[in-house]
Amino acid sequence: MNVLTWPVVGAFLRWRHARPALQIVLLIAAIAIVLHGLLGPQLAPRNLATVVTSIHWRGFLILAIVAVGNLFCTACPMVLARDMSRRIVHPALRWPRWLRGKWLGLALLVLVLFSYELFDLWSQPRATAWLVIGYFGLAIVIDSVFKGASFCKHLCPIGQFNFAASTMAPTELRIVERETCRTCRTSDCIKGRYRPAEAGHYVLEQRGCELGLFLPMKVGNLDCTMCLDCVHACPHDNIALAIRTPGAELLERGRRSGIGRLSQRADLAALAVVFTFAALVSAFAMTSPSYLVEQRLATLIGTDREWPVLAIVFLGGLLIAPALLLWVAGTITRLLAENPGTLRATVLAYAYALIPVGLGIWAAHYGFHLLTGALTIVPVAQSATVDAFGHALLGGPFWGWVGLQPGAVFPIQLGCVVLGASGSMAMVQAISQRDQPTRPMLASVPWLVVVLLLTTTALWILSQPMEMRAVRFLG
Amino acid sequence: MHVCVAPRAQRRVLTVVILACSLATACAAPGCDVHWDRQTESSGAINVSWTLDPSPPLAGTPIVVRLTLRDRDHTPVTGARLRLEGLMSHPGMAPITAPVTERGNGEYEAPLQFTMAGDWVLIVTGELSGGGQIKKQIEINGVRQQ
Repeated sequence: MNVLTWPVVGAFLRWRHARPALQIVLLIAAIAIVLHGLLGPQLAPRNLATVVTSIHWRGFLILAIVAVGNLFCTACPMVLARDMSRRIVHPALRWPRWLRGKWLGLALLVLVLFSYELFDLWSQPRATAWLVIGYFGLAIVIDSVFKGASFCKHLCPIGQFNFAASTMAPTELRIVERETCRTCRTSDCIKGRYRPAEAGHYVLEQRGCELGLFLPMKVGNLDCTMCLDCVHACPHDNIALAIRTPGAELLERGRRSGIGRLSQRADLAALAVVFTFAALVSAFAMTSPSYLVEQRLATLIGTDREWPVLAIVFLGGLLIAPALLLWVAGTITRLLAENPGTLRATVLAYAYALIPVGLGIWAAHYGFHLLTGALTIVPVAQSATVDAFGHALLGGPFWGWVGLQPGAVFPIQLGCVVLGASGSMAMVQAISQRDQPTRPMLASVPWLVVVLLLTTTALWILSQPMEMRAVRFLG
Repeated sequence: MHVCVAPRAQRRVLTVVILACSLATACAAPGCDVHWDRQTESSGAINVSWTLDPSPPLAGTPIVVRLTLRDRDHTPVTGARLRLEGLMSHPGMAPITAPVTERGNGEYEAPLQFTMAGDWVLIVTGELSGGGQIKKQIEINGVRQQ
């Protein structure tokens, strides 16, 4: 089924200016966030910067990925800003080969998550505004120096998060007829389309995939920003936004354009693992027990500063615990399987199976904030209007508008985690049947235990009393 | 039409943008004027002091917030009509409100129950008997779980 053939939605997506239209909406939102963050009241629940980023943007990002696909990257306002900057400055360099892969983007993702906890960004409107400015600046700088979508592909922490999550999206850009691509002589989907200009020069009329995904060999959503450039560039109208089975792309063993083989990409496997365990660490950081843990750690190492303690929590949660679990699970699988590969190959094969449960935990966490605070944007926007124009042009502010009661959201959170865990278990089983066809059940056992362990940990975290600490540490 | 910028000019532009980004990132860190505004001046010369009973407060346990209003000459401010609202430091959480009762001699109190552990901000607003406005922001950090 091709979404691009649907009435209204399909027609909109095929419209050449669909992406800029979406980007302009988010650009206006970003400008409002920055202005209110810098100039508005520095009280987080009353400022657009903190309310929109912490409550609505994160929640809708996950919701959009689960329901449609990587929509945030489609509508990314930073790409619009860098497109405008490229009208002035043309990049001349290619992204260095030694920096390719996901390691840098992964490090930045961890850095952002760490900074969010360390600096309590949810309570800092001005810092949030500066972070948004920093994001825009970095995207512009990188893509002013390096060709293509270097920032998106190699650096953007939000992008890496979205790439991992969108492997579970229900849609994917893919070719319609393989034969059409086989006979295609222009490859506009990746090279772009040029038209003749004066003095024998050619001018780019429609760019192709800036992330280096050649559509005939593209598999899944990894590295796909759903920018639709390929759709607009293809002269044969041979690209569909197809409905598909979420997660199935992670079982593909073949070589894929712009990615290679998943089984050979330790960086992508690490992204999947960090994506999953960061969901737990991020949710745990909001609970009362996390403060007890931090206090005990601080006493243990004799410090009254937060960063070393938080660094230990992140190191333990994102490196040591996953490494230990994966090593144990991989070793046991090799012992139980009849046809074992190397430990590295085993771990790389199964690591991707953790993404569904990770997404379930992120959805439970961000969904909680979205559902319990969905209406807060109304009074905050009303208040911002008063701040900006001196009049209540939007009425209110109705400060009593909040959202669902936390207790009402808990069953939904359970559903998200259990659904994610079910997906991971199904994927573990499918990987075992693929790689260990003679003993799939035995090979699956250690990884099913890992998924169960993650699931019970997530459920325990979600059942803990929340504690929104922002100002002090060990006070 | 595309305009090609000379490599030297390109480097200059990039240097400026990198410096701006570094500055932005540096200013995003705490300590660079990112603390909450303390709006204690909206009441003019009215000084508001406060206590919590019990202190420290626990989430889910009823407490009493006692406010004492004094003017510039330390004279009790009586007859003020006050409102008390509690907000969490994290956005998206339900605010709590409480009626404020005058106890005489410039003292007021409000029953309150923090619904969640963490950091709270209490906002006291109201009108003075003389017609002025009062607005005070009180930070209550570290409300613990019961």
